[in-house]
Amino acid sequence: MKKISVNPITRLEGHGKIEIFLDDSGEVVNSYLQIPELRGFEKFCEGRPVEELPRIVPRICGV
Amino acid sequence: MTKPKIALYWAAACGGCDVAVLDTNEKILDIANLADIVFWPVALDFKYHHVEEMADTSIDLCLFNGAVRNSEQEEIARLLRAKSKVMVAFGACACFGGIPALGNFTTRDEIFERVYIESPSSANENRTFPQTLTKVEEGELDLPEMFDTVMTLAQVVDVEYFIPGCPPPVDIILKVVDLFASGQLPPVGAIIASDKTLCDECERTKEEKKIARIYRPHQIIPDPNRCLLEQGIICCGPATRGGCGVRCVKANMPCRGCFGPPPGVIDQGAKLVSAIASIYQSDGQEDINRMLEDIVDPAGTFYRFGMADSMLKRKSLPQGERRA
Ligand code: SF4
Ligand code: SF4
Ligand code: SF4
Repeated sequence: MKKISVNPITRLEGHGKIEIFLDDSGEVVNSYLQIPELRGFEKFCEGRPVEELPRIVPRICGV
Repeated sequence: MTKPKIALYWAAACGGCDVAVLDTNEKILDIANLADIVFWPVALDFKYHHVEEMADTSIDLCLFNGAVRNSEQEEIARLLRAKSKVMVAFGACACFGGIPALGNFTTRDEIFERVYIESPSSANENRTFPQTLTKVEEGELDLPEMFDTVMTLAQVVDVEYFIPGCPPPVDIILKVVDLFASGQLPPVGAIIASDKTLCDECERTKEEKKIARIYRPHQIIPDPNRCLLEQGIICCGPATRGGCGVRCVKANMPCRGCFGPPPGVIDQGAKLVSAIASIYQSDGQEDINRMLEDIVDPAGTFYRFGMADSMLKRKSLPQGERRA
């Protein structure tokens, strides 16, 4: 089976890639969107004072 | 004459650094006139394979934002380094680890557990976590390996220049473009910002006063004209390089250190501890204990943007853990 990779996806904030699988006649069999990135705000915001969060979480996305 | 080539990339980043480049408004057209932008995921549709196909050192200037926290980011850092004559760590994340390096207080497994198991929006009874290789019916899918430890760009590849800030201010970006255009880039290793501390550039009145306690923001209404630290509000100015235009302090918010340590300071957090200790009214152990209790989350405040670049680098890893 043939695989086409769209890597990275562009013109959006964040990281992503798309894998498209084709059969012998070139028809799409399946495709996958993958997110190859995680920073872990969900975890590292724990323990930070609540008044500091408005200065931390804007860095989730700055676009 | 062929135009010089510029590449921009984001690793563990928020996109704010890319937007800061766009914030140059109509000057972005000057940049586009001056150089061909050959790679810039936020704005242009070039793929990794396009970069791989370029000749080594064929890119004249690479502005790399974001920290390095997984194997893909490390690979792209190495790839862009090989293809670029001049590599710039652009923004606090690339220079010092930035906000993503708060992850160095935790581990990859703890992050996975929180994100994929405990978070209220997850339903994951089979405890499925991201795998570097997954077999699917049609073939194989791969993902980068997430590291335990967030790294700065310079911890991964050689870097010629550092532009600090979260994000870098537009005037510094334009200055760098001018220096690049006129072939007047400073000596390699330069940090393109001020050579003073933020306090040196701050116009608030400093009275060399001792403080009797530390206040959290909801406990005090700060005087907009007096030094915040001298009012008992933790401000990272004494341990931070100037050059941002004193942005936060002018908005009556204390600095959190996104320009990194000033010249001569190796560890930003240690410098800040010594600055606070020196102005804290202390008549003995009791006062010192009270000060320590007053400061909520000292590590996350003193190393808000600089954990990866600090002497400690991270919370120690459990024995036998992966890459430190
Ligand atoms: S330095 Fe700040 S603005 Fe730039 S990518 Fe990191 S978090 Fe975003
Ligand atoms: S500690 Fe903060 S408020 Fe005080 S002088 Fe320095 S930058 Fe200004
Ligand atoms: S005041 Fe401090 S945290 Fe705010 S932009 Fe300047 S260096 Fe960064």
